[in-house]
Amino acid sequence: MALALEWRKIRRTGIWPAFIGGSLLAAAVPVINMAFRWENYVGQESSPLSVLLLANWPVMAMFNLFLVLAGACALYHLEYADGAIGHMRALPLWEGGLFFGKLSLIAFLCLPALAVEAAAVAFCSAHWFGHTDLLSLLQSFGFSFVMLLPSLLCSLLAAEIFKNIWTALGVGVICIFMAGMLPEKGLLFSLFPFSLPLRIWTQLSAESARCLLEAAAVESGLLAAAELLLLKIRRWFL
Amino acid sequence: MSFLSLLHIELLKLRRSKIGFILLAAAFFLWLPATFNVQIYFDRTELGIPPEQNFFIQGFLGLSWFMFPASMVICTVLLMQLERGERGLFKMLSLPVNAAKLCLAKFFILLALAVFMLLFSAAAYCASAALIGANRQYPFVLPLSYVLSRAGILLLAALPMLTFFWLLSVCIPSPLFSAGIGLFSIVPAVLAMNTKIWYLYPMCYPFYIMTAEYGRLADGISTWQVSPFPLLPVAILFSAACLTISCLRFGKSETN
Repeated sequence: MALALEWRKIRRTGIWPAFIGGSLLAAAVPVINMAFRWENYVGQESSPLSVLLLANWPVMAMFNLFLVLAGACALYHLEYADGAIGHMRALPLWEGGLFFGKLSLIAFLCLPALAVEAAAVAFCSAHWFGHTDLLSLLQSFGFSFVMLLPSLLCSLLAAEIFKNIWTALGVGVICIFMAGMLPEKGLLFSLFPFSLPLRIWTQLSAESARCLLEAAAVESGLLAAAELLLLKIRRWFL
Repeated sequence: MSFLSLLHIELLKLRRSKIGFILLAAAFFLWLPATFNVQIYFDRTELGIPPEQNFFIQGFLGLSWFMFPASMVICTVLLMQLERGERGLFKMLSLPVNAAKLCLAKFFILLALAVFMLLFSAAAYCASAALIGANRQYPFVLPLSYVLSRAGILLLAALPMLTFFWLLSVCIPSPLFSAGIGLFSIVPAVLAMNTKIWYLYPMCYPFYIMTAEYGRLADGISTWQVSPFPLLPVAILFSAACLTISCLRFGKSETN
């Protein structure tokens, strides 16, 4: 219900073409990189997937983070821009449904975006390395999808808390910058929600990959709980 | 209305926008990870660069690559969205003001925000370097004239990029697309500046100039030279084109 409602709201905003367009740009990164500098990458010992991801994932993950952030801010801007949120609150709807509807909508839009990127990586692997390991490709992008969820929840929370789109965008951009600067080592730093999408599945041991997946699940749960708490607390001030 | 009073009015509009907090936070978080990890600058001396120089240039690389352009995209969103709510721009344009003049006034406010951002970053640098210096009994703070001159160069290099971001926010009414395209244009700067025709991509100028500066200070990073030709003609033409188009298109999406 909430998802269908959100889907109808974005019909004329161009959000889903933006997601496809953004993912096409992200997908162009490995293709262009390989087209110009293939001799740097072909012939390495590790698997084609890990070579490709190691070379291109930082830039592609940055694109994904920007997509998620811009999408979250745009969805809430839709509500705040002309006071639509007041009308929504007047309806006999649970207000949390708004948040979780937007959450599932962006998560749903991330799926085709990641699929386009996976297709580009598969193409590079098949074209320059001669073969594609479809199973690990699927695993790797499934992992990346789960890693995106905490940052998505964070962006949505920021977009909900700050009515002005530039404040929410600013908070998100600062978080993305921090994610790029924080060292990968150290438990506390590696659990920062915005640095999770930068992790590369093929570079992780099975143990640490499982740890990160669990961490992402726990963080998502905590952030969802924070949203429920926010709804309760804000009612006292409105 | 004179240009100065327009500027004054635009400045007044920023009062409750909280943009100062965002720029301050951006400057603060720019130096925070480096301040905690300062040991790596003392360990990595094989490049022939003293730790205090390395600390400064790494921070400014981060600033010129990501923090400054992204903050400026947000400032353009702010300047346009502030007036799109409650049809403020529509009311503004119904007054006897020249739309092109208004557009230029807003662009100058963007430049002022850019200067604030750089000053905040320089101040945050001085604070964090002074803190490290006091902590380690080591003269860690670079001369203020050096810091400010690099910030000034960064601002000059960023001018064409700022005109492009301004053009985006004027011509594209939806903040999703104006901010999205702006943020997305930052990411390929890393790829563009490694090509021979880097001067055709204005979004990489600030990062290119800072990397060239890094190469001047450290061995084996880059031997890039910044020569005025063909950089200057391209930059001037690009900025002039962006500013002209944005002045011509200003308010068009509001009034029809």
